[in-house]
Amino acid sequence: MSARTIRAVGAVALACAAAAAGCGSDDDNATSTAATAAASKTAADPAVVKLVPPEVKAKGVVTVVLDATYAPAEFFAEDGKTIIGMEPDLVTAMAAKMGLKVKLVNEPFDGIIPGLAAKKYDIGASSFSDTKEREKVVDFVDVFKAAQSFYTKASGGTEITGIEDTCGKKVAVQRGSIEQDGLKAQAAKCRAAGKPAPSVLSFVDQNSVTLAVNSGRAQLGFADQIISEYTIKKSNGLLKAVGTPIDPLPSGMAVPKGSGLAEPMLAALKALMADDSYMKILGKWGLEDGAISGAAVKINGAVS
Amino acid sequence: MSNASSELAAPPVTAPDDIKAVPVRHPGRWVAVVVVAIVAASVLRAVIVNSGFQWHYVGKYLFDPKVLGGVVTTIELTVVSMVVGITLGILFAVMRLSPNPVVAGFSWLYTWFFRGTPLLVQLLFWQFGGALFHTISLGVPFGGPALIDPSYNSLIVPFVAATLGFGLNEGAYMAEIVRAGILSVDEGQTEAAQSVGLSRLQTLRLIVLPQAMRVIIPPTGNETISMLKNTSLVLILGSVVDLLFAAQQIYAANYRTIPLLIVASIWYLALTSVLYVGQHFIERRFGRGFSRGAA
Repeated sequence: MSARTIRAVGAVALACAAAAAGCGSDDDNATSTAATAAASKTAADPAVVKLVPPEVKAKGVVTVVLDATYAPAEFFAEDGKTIIGMEPDLVTAMAAKMGLKVKLVNEPFDGIIPGLAAKKYDIGASSFSDTKEREKVVDFVDVFKAAQSFYTKASGGTEITGIEDTCGKKVAVQRGSIEQDGLKAQAAKCRAAGKPAPSVLSFVDQNSVTLAVNSGRAQLGFADQIISEYTIKKSNGLLKAVGTPIDPLPSGMAVPKGSGLAEPMLAALKALMADDSYMKILGKWGLEDGAISGAAVKINGAVS
Repeated sequence: MSNASSELAAPPVTAPDDIKAVPVRHPGRWVAVVVVAIVAASVLRAVIVNSGFQWHYVGKYLFDPKVLGGVVTTIELTVVSMVVGITLGILFAVMRLSPNPVVAGFSWLYTWFFRGTPLLVQLLFWQFGGALFHTISLGVPFGGPALIDPSYNSLIVPFVAATLGFGLNEGAYMAEIVRAGILSVDEGQTEAAQSVGLSRLQTLRLIVLPQAMRVIIPPTGNETISMLKNTSLVLILGSVVDLLFAAQQIYAANYRTIPLLIVASIWYLALTSVLYVGQHFIERRFGRGFSRGAA
């Protein structure tokens, strides 16, 4: 009997209700939204198609899982059903180069890597920071670089200089995110300096993180910089950025180990960079700052 | 008249023939036993032999300090929420049966609202209410001077938000259960009490409620067992770490999802079993004097 991942029972309904109560989109469906991303106008590239494993070629469709509460990287459109964003666009273009179609599935963030490890999905495209710890479980194709930054209430918020300043403060993060790991490391540093560790509130989805900051439960929100900036923009002046951002880390799409998809995906990405589609996609969402090139475009390029 | 020669041996007194009773055969039962045994054995084997369960991790984390801390928090949440819920339930049930229409109407409104909105949404509103109500003040109503004026978040800390959410929701369900129990007591009891001169409240306290308890206990036990599991919803609040949240925090770091969910399930089963024992003794206590009393 093959191993199967059991999704935490409540987590799914929670993601929906939390999003509904938060200031984000009203996302009222449960586990999987099979929202097919807009058909890409990209044509298949024969050199790339050659690298695709035969069983995937036969299927013709790859299942891409993501946590669509992370605007503008991946999020739900106004209709509450279609998943849009930079990553759906990028992964659809990459799949088109591989001669494949894409089926998008929405899952809470911290269930995605276990799901990939259990071979439940083909690709995970949910703004993953490529870390050595995660590389033990899945393989990454680096597609982007993401910094992390803080935000707080515009009036009555907490001023900090950077992550070193978070000792003893209440910080909200999304569960399983690299920001949560970053705060854990900072907690050790705070304790070594004799100061109290930051108090971490971890939520299932990004909307609850913002709600925690708005309601005063948390003094600071900590997320990928593109997300923080988008959240601040959408808050109509209620939130503001604070502190120096953390240096960018490689961000990648995850595939199960041994699936054979990493090489064709890397080739597809390089093809998209060659014909400028990559920059066009990033430009559509205002994310040109996170573009990578040259040696950074690789498989499993974790630096920490 | 006795007749010496009639000392004929009377026929020997024998017991009536022992009936040769043959027990009724139930071949169907034996077939059923064999089928059930095979199914059970197959399921057990599939579970024990399956490497996906990673039973050695289950053993490793079963008594992990974070998990134990979560168990304690779960117990605390359950106890406090049920105390709040049962108290409010009795209060609102009595209010509902009041002859005062405003009081009865208010009670109806309470049960309608708190049973009519999802528990999840109620918890989120309590936790993030600071976005709506920055301070909670106690003083002269409608804008008068305040005696104390704490901020929402300092007064309603996450644990309080959780227990308020659970407790108020539970109170609405308990109100209906207690009302059912009170209605189950024969009207004659109330009439007799009133004829003896007891007030409404005395009748309730001394005569009706003690008898109503017998009907109230089993569904209340049900609700308590439900509450034990419902406390796992605190994970959306983000800061109260109960048993399930603790298990999820561990597997978010080491990706051992299945073993940790099993650890949590084992603990929930153990705690529920303790509640079963407790309920048995409470039912026995309140079932005294009834022939169809305790289980």
